[in-house]
Amino acid sequence: MALTTAPDPTRRGPGSDRAHAERRGPGRLRNSEGLAGYVFLSPWLIGLMGITAIPMLLSLYLSFTNYDILTPFSEVEWVGLANYRRMFTADPSYWHAVRVTLTFALIAVPLKLAAALGVALLLNRAWRGVGLFRGLFYLPSLLGGSVALAIVWVNMFNRDGAFNSLLSLFGIEGRPWVNDPDWALETLMVLAIWQFGAPMVIFLAGLKQVPTELYEAASVDGAGRFRQFRNVTLPMLSPVIFFNLVLETINGFQGFTAAFVLSNGTGGPVDSTLMYTLNLYITGFTDLEMGYASAMAWVFLLAIAVITAIFFSTGRFWVHYSDGEDR
Amino acid sequence: MHPATPFTTDAPVGRAHRTPLPRRRLLRGLLAVTVAAPLLFGAAACGDDDGGAADPNAPVKLSIFWWGGDARAKLTEDALALYTKKHPNVTFEKTWQANQGYFDKLATLTAGGNPPDLFQIDDNYLAEYAARNSTLDLTSYQKSGKLDTSKFPESLWQYGVVDGKLAGLAAGENTQGLVYNKTLLTKHNLPEPTTGMTWEEHIAWAEQVTAKTNVPGTQDPSADYKALWVWLRQQGKDLYQGKELGFTAEDVTRWFDLWRGARDRKATPTPDVIHEGNATDITKQLVVTGKAATSWVWANQMPDLKKNTKDELGVIAYPGDPSAQWARASMYWSVFKGSKNRDVAVDVINFLNNDVEAVKLLGTDRGLPSNLDLRRVVSDDTTDPAMKQSIAVEAELTQKFGKSPQVPIKGHSKVKSELIKAAENAQYGRASSAEAATQFIEACKSAIA
Repeated sequence: MALTTAPDPTRRGPGSDRAHAERRGPGRLRNSEGLAGYVFLSPWLIGLMGITAIPMLLSLYLSFTNYDILTPFSEVEWVGLANYRRMFTADPSYWHAVRVTLTFALIAVPLKLAAALGVALLLNRAWRGVGLFRGLFYLPSLLGGSVALAIVWVNMFNRDGAFNSLLSLFGIEGRPWVNDPDWALETLMVLAIWQFGAPMVIFLAGLKQVPTELYEAASVDGAGRFRQFRNVTLPMLSPVIFFNLVLETINGFQGFTAAFVLSNGTGGPVDSTLMYTLNLYITGFTDLEMGYASAMAWVFLLAIAVITAIFFSTGRFWVHYSDGEDR
Repeated sequence: MHPATPFTTDAPVGRAHRTPLPRRRLLRGLLAVTVAAPLLFGAAACGDDDGGAADPNAPVKLSIFWWGGDARAKLTEDALALYTKKHPNVTFEKTWQANQGYFDKLATLTAGGNPPDLFQIDDNYLAEYAARNSTLDLTSYQKSGKLDTSKFPESLWQYGVVDGKLAGLAAGENTQGLVYNKTLLTKHNLPEPTTGMTWEEHIAWAEQVTAKTNVPGTQDPSADYKALWVWLRQQGKDLYQGKELGFTAEDVTRWFDLWRGARDRKATPTPDVIHEGNATDITKQLVVTGKAATSWVWANQMPDLKKNTKDELGVIAYPGDPSAQWARASMYWSVFKGSKNRDVAVDVINFLNNDVEAVKLLGTDRGLPSNLDLRRVVSDDTTDPAMKQSIAVEAELTQKFGKSPQVPIKGHSKVKSELIKAAENAQYGRASSAEAATQFIEACKSAIA
């Protein structure tokens, strides 16, 4: 079984660089075509500029100012790096939020992926009614970051919520999970993990792609269930694992809705659910320090970029791309 | 505000696309726009400074924004309809929502260059807006009599003055009110608390309630700025003094210790329940959820609280000397400084406060009417028992009120949330009273700096 590291189709669109370069090379007649291209692109381009690019660049500018939302732009003062300096040297609640977010992502993301993979393995068999189960397990993630779901969660994990009633059946006295600073974040993690449907579906698709011959060959060679999983399933699935890992990590860092709802927008109890984005929101909209909040947003963007870059650079040691032809 | 979106839409990191020339030009254009945009927005925001209407009968659409529940919405809409009836050229674009998120929305509307002409605001935010020049100074209207405050208690309209400018006009008067569950007390043959009890007496009473009823006697208000405020004033201190804090870490330590003692004596609920009660939402107040026998609220919230429970409620002043309480503007009406319809907006404020029919319609929903003559009319007319009760208590307290403090300063909203954080830290036993107090003072200093 020769596993080669060929370019992954998911990482490069059909218009890959080489094709692009060839097309661009000779002709001059491209001008009018180019124009037409931009015209066709324009709906997307206008959206990108108006909704994403311009506000983003604006926030970069604002991150060097003391913008407070209420003061008109014309009276905003340039403060240089003061916001960034404050973030790194003089704001303990900023670092607290960083810790909360890292804890959340480091625990919730791996567990969510493990749950997704485990369930995908179970649902990858041909039982009767397996489709129904796939649907059921996928359902929670359809509800995504919804407010309604977060409200249900709060009520379920209250002192007198459904979860504690369940525990009391077994004679265990529950806690006020969502109102306990030691457990509130964990409650949010459980919510995130429970929504493993989206990565599960992707894992399922990945599992379907693994050629059955590989398993046959492995079992002929005397590999048991576990060895097959370790030496066939995992390597063949590694691009999908990689994809899910990157996506879920980014999602995990951005967790906002559930924390906002659970804490009434405060990050409480005692800042235990003060996720990065929630802290950013409070800074910008409640404390009216939008310049500082913009700086936080940019540091956040860079941090996620760095983490993603690290994933990509380590990926080549453990992600195997097989194009399925050179077996 | 989704900083990471570009990742999902853009090319993978570390594998930069080659940038063809047109895109580079495009980027440069983009930069130009970015630099120009603030100037444009800025210009738009400080434009139209020419103010008031030329033709008094020209049609005007006035936008108005407030927070509150369905009941308030109904009353306010009726009162505004009455204004339109009297001034057919004026119509209203009404927006209202719950208290939570109201100020986020107001700030966003202001930032977007689309602020309401007329908006409701309270003392937690008045200085934030006034200090940033977002509110119209109403002094000239008051002087010319277009805004009539002659029937207002002087201290009440003065509670809307920030840095010498009348930034908002009191839409009603209220004061701190300690609301207790009468039904529960009667059922267990317990005495009702009374105005003038000391803090120690209040806690001892609450301890007794807990022991007899199994319902914690009092919510722990150590996270509540308005309770801390009254307590400080009873010792000759204040929340703010000029641009500084009016208290020290030692004061806060004693405040936290007072309530730690109360918690140890089981006079209060457990920290997680206290935390629930720290939400500002009326429906979550422990006295209506049945998780405590008393809650620390504003007296004018009585009717709203009553709607959420079957039990009878009573209301008195906070413990200690009631002269530490004052005639507080429960909320204000403010006019956005850049409003094109500012004259009409001011006239509407005047109407909502001084027109007999309008004030009768509005009742005491926003607190006791600011106009003393009309306050009498309303209290004679009202039939709602909860409203009657809060009017009676406030009327009684009015005799005892002390001098108004200054309006909370810029940074106050942060001070409020920092107090909750510090107090909860102490409640959950994660910090000693002294540690929590020091943490609070540090945070306050940077918030109001």
